[in-house]
Amino acid sequence: MAKVTIYSTPTCVYCKMAKEFFAKNNVAYEEHDVAADMKAREDMVNKSHQLGVPVIDINNNIVIGFDQKTIEGLLGLGKPAVPAA
Amino acid sequence: MYDLIIVGGGPGGVAAGVYAARKKMKTALITDSFGGQSLVSNGIENWIGTKSISGFDLAKNLEEHLRAQAGIDIIDGDLVAAVAKRDDGTFGVTTKNGKTLETKFILLTSGSRRKRLGVPGEDQFDGKGVVFCTTCDAPLFGGKTVAVVGGGNSALEGVEDLLMYASKIYLIVRSEVLRGDPVTQEKVKNNPKVEIIWNAVIEEIKGETFVNGINYKDGKTGESKTLALDGVFVEIGLLPNSDFVKDIVALNATGHVIIDARTQQTSCPGIWAAGDVTDVLYEQNNISVGDSIKATLNVYDKIKKS
Repeated sequence: MAKVTIYSTPTCVYCKMAKEFFAKNNVAYEEHDVAADMKAREDMVNKSHQLGVPVIDINNNIVIGFDQKTIEGLLGLGKPAVPAA
Repeated sequence: MYDLIIVGGGPGGVAAGVYAARKKMKTALITDSFGGQSLVSNGIENWIGTKSISGFDLAKNLEEHLRAQAGIDIIDGDLVAAVAKRDDGTFGVTTKNGKTLETKFILLTSGSRRKRLGVPGEDQFDGKGVVFCTTCDAPLFGGKTVAVVGGGNSALEGVEDLLMYASKIYLIVRSEVLRGDPVTQEKVKNNPKVEIIWNAVIEEIKGETFVNGINYKDGKTGESKTLALDGVFVEIGLLPNSDFVKDIVALNATGHVIIDARTQQTSCPGIWAAGDVTDVLYEQNNISVGDSIKATLNVYDKIKKS
């Protein structure tokens, strides 16, 4: 199973969307609140060179923002086809 | 062939989707996400019927309401890239992911996106000290010196979001006045952490790995100045998402789609528009919903008559 870590803040809606996406797809994840946890913030910045959330670590692949397509790719999740017109 | 393609998943687009489905029009709605610009709002206190709701919950409610309708095709995670008008009066709608759909009518509820400064360093340091979602990232700037750029409500609210965290906040204003709610203006002006720099035109955002400052010009004296900063929060307003129809519908000078306010019809027969993408006088969720419903009912009238 993929090791998933999300760095988030409590006010970040894209973090919520990402967590909801994980829940819907039964993906277990570890969460760090970088608003409160300075050590986690440092880890996030070192890993991603980003000062913005969410940063998501999937098996050491760093995803910036809630980039659903990239996350699906890294987790091997497919999206159901859209009905044809 | 669809009767109607709705472009956008904000309050306007969803309202149109619900009405179109209930009128049994063959409809598709194309959107990258739901909720529109309010998605990132911490609390919306003027959404009628609900005392207070977060942008996230509003977006969820809208999506649920739309998905509860039978017979509407929802294409999410995608965007409309181009619209082509055909000789027989129908339209071809092409998405960013390369899908092409055919439709008799189109409703544009594509809203707005954030305006960018367009100065050197802005793209390079995006996510490295340049911030476009203040509510998301304000907590990362605890004890830091930051600047909020802009003079309207979103800039003032950005300053408010940062008051809890940052040690010093410069508000960089291009003119000599603040727009935005007087109550928020007072709150911002009276806070000792906040310093307003008037008549300031940003010329460059500087840094190494992360932002470390800006260069700006004093619009009055023409003097160039530097400011040491850890973060730049860009809150300078919005641009309408009308690029993909600019060749087929009339836009005003600011790029908003010109509509007939009685029917929401655009200059192009077969295309309607509602909400913030239009030249509507007030950009409000509740107004987008009403105007969008008006447009959908007008489309329905057209279908009945044809």
